[in-house]
Amino acid sequence: MSAVIFEGVSKKFRRGERHDSLRDLVPSLVKRAMRGAPDRTALADQEFWAVKDMSFKVGAGEALGIIGPNGAGKSTTLKLLTKILRPTKGRIEINGRVGALIEVAAGFHPDLTGRENVYLQGAIMGMPRAEIARKFDAIVDFSGVQDFIDTPVKRYSSGMNARLGFAIAAHLDPDVLIIDEVLSVGDVGFQEKCVTRMRELLGRGIPLVFVSHNLSAVVQLCTRAILVDRGAVQFDGRPAEAVAEFRKARRDNPAASGASADKPMAITGVQLLQADGESSPLFTTGKPMTIRVGYEAREPIHKPHVAIDIHGVDGVYCAGINTRMDDCSLGTLEGRGFVDLAISKLALLPGCYTISAGILDPQGLRPLDLQERAFPFSVVSDRRDFGFVYLEHQWTHGHGVDARPVRLEARLSPRPARSLAAVAVQEELG
Amino acid sequence: MSILMEVVAEQWEYRELLVRMTARDLLLRYKQTVMGFGWAIFMPLVNTAIFSVIFTRVAAIDVGTPYPVYAFCGLVAWNFFASSLRFSVTSLTSNPSLVTKVYFPREIFPFSAVLVSIVDFAVSSLVLVALMLYYRVEVGWPLLMLPVVVLAIIVFTAATALVISMANLFYRDVKYLFEIVIAVWMFATSVVYPIGRVGGKLGAVLALNPMTHLIDAFRAVLLDQRMPGMAFHLTFAASILMLAGAWVMFHLAEFDFAENL
Repeated sequence: MSAVIFEGVSKKFRRGERHDSLRDLVPSLVKRAMRGAPDRTALADQEFWAVKDMSFKVGAGEALGIIGPNGAGKSTTLKLLTKILRPTKGRIEINGRVGALIEVAAGFHPDLTGRENVYLQGAIMGMPRAEIARKFDAIVDFSGVQDFIDTPVKRYSSGMNARLGFAIAAHLDPDVLIIDEVLSVGDVGFQEKCVTRMRELLGRGIPLVFVSHNLSAVVQLCTRAILVDRGAVQFDGRPAEAVAEFRKARRDNPAASGASADKPMAITGVQLLQADGESSPLFTTGKPMTIRVGYEAREPIHKPHVAIDIHGVDGVYCAGINTRMDDCSLGTLEGRGFVDLAISKLALLPGCYTISAGILDPQGLRPLDLQERAFPFSVVSDRRDFGFVYLEHQWTHGHGVDARPVRLEARLSPRPARSLAAVAVQEELG
Repeated sequence: MSILMEVVAEQWEYRELLVRMTARDLLLRYKQTVMGFGWAIFMPLVNTAIFSVIFTRVAAIDVGTPYPVYAFCGLVAWNFFASSLRFSVTSLTSNPSLVTKVYFPREIFPFSAVLVSIVDFAVSSLVLVALMLYYRVEVGWPLLMLPVVVLAIIVFTAATALVISMANLFYRDVKYLFEIVIAVWMFATSVVYPIGRVGGKLGAVLALNPMTHLIDAFRAVLLDQRMPGMAFHLTFAASILMLAGAWVMFHLAEFDFAENL
């Protein structure tokens, strides 16, 4: 049984301002009386579909990511999920108590103390008083605002406010968890606590819906993702593929500039090629990847260098390779051409990365052209390791002092998200 | 009918939130005002003093009981009704972050406004008891009907609260209109003088005012040792139907609230 079912759901909105005074009621009633009741499913003047014929399901233990550009219908979908909006058409079924980590402090009243607000917000989220009382210490502990729990919330910083709200939400025992960009709350330590809590719920088989612009978080947390655009599901599948699809959809290659008078040499483009020479934004851990840097030189450039950097989406510097360090000479370049960097085994774990490409002068000091973090790609794999780098490895085991080590074979069942590794380990141990 | 069962069941499920929201408003009043519940007593007392001067000195009328008790009794009941509605009318529009961002039955807003006023009602009733003791008003068996009469007043108030809170969400004019209506309505009800004295065609129209029958019944059981008459029972029955209808209507419109706020 699916915990969340969206079946042909559509939601209509109207553009422009709606006047909420009686002055407008009379004309609209007259219009209605003349024309009869309007057809709910047809679009009237100024109306548009924020969500159109959307269908998806989320089952137990699944973490569904929803990604898409601004105005794609993500927020509307979220509001439909949390019952704040009712669909114009279609059916939404949600089995069990919904825990929404959205506007976690919406019920806070500034004049009430933290303690009073915990009880109030808890009740708003559907927690009985006895349950809040039981979890109160844990909530306060999680939020880290112990010292201010009897201070009115109006004296809290916005971070404290959000942390306390999130702590309450995190202690709900929902049947379905819905999250909207909560990872932006608090400092790194607090974010880690949040992610741990989410994984814990996921591990218990509680389905999760995660709406985010943080593509890296979606790839890491989710087992499946849908790409939403213009109110409809454009892609449904593995998170990394959905992210790749998203990027393909809005491909605006910023590097398509040529050389000019003040720029004697320029990068004309960067292509990412798979083993078969096909251009792709999607690569696999341990498989080949070729980065092709196209250039154009207006005048002969003597021995320039090409540099390539790879960054994780959250800014981690994963690798930096250039021809100067490798002591490769490109000779004198003029006109158009390309330089290939062939990576035989891509040692990156699943996630989203970006490539920066640069052409440097012979001394390797001054860039002639630099395209910073302009070329994104995603990595997928069955590997369940943590971190960014895949280290080829082998486990062996020697039982006793003089025993001959025995090789242990790794069993790689396809598991969609590496972040579930912790859960998987628990399953295997228990 | 099934919708009604559904909404009542849902409200029951969220009963703790209703209590919490009421407690929030009471707590806030305590924190934000120096007088706290004192205001619940102060207002009807001042009004009683004013009307006592008018109707015992300027235009003396005979109401059968000492006038201050008569007026205070009417004002306590009326103030409950009027202040419930005054809180209700903006209860949805003044909580936009909750209405547009979190789901729970929206009735909780007008209902908690009514509950807050019930607390005020209880507090000012203590003063009423003191006045009754002072003027040596005797009570008899009809007093046993008091809970039924109070329930009828609450039912009618809750039904009206649902309608006006919803109406104000869709049309903000309601808030202004409300102030005028409530002022006129008070003098069209047996609050500070018996409306039966009006007579004629206007009197016939005013007899349709449900609040008159409710407040008359309230006074009958408290001050006159009389059982409430037929008019009260009809009003009670109509109030129950009104509440059922208003609740269903509110529920059907509820999902459009977030879009219209």
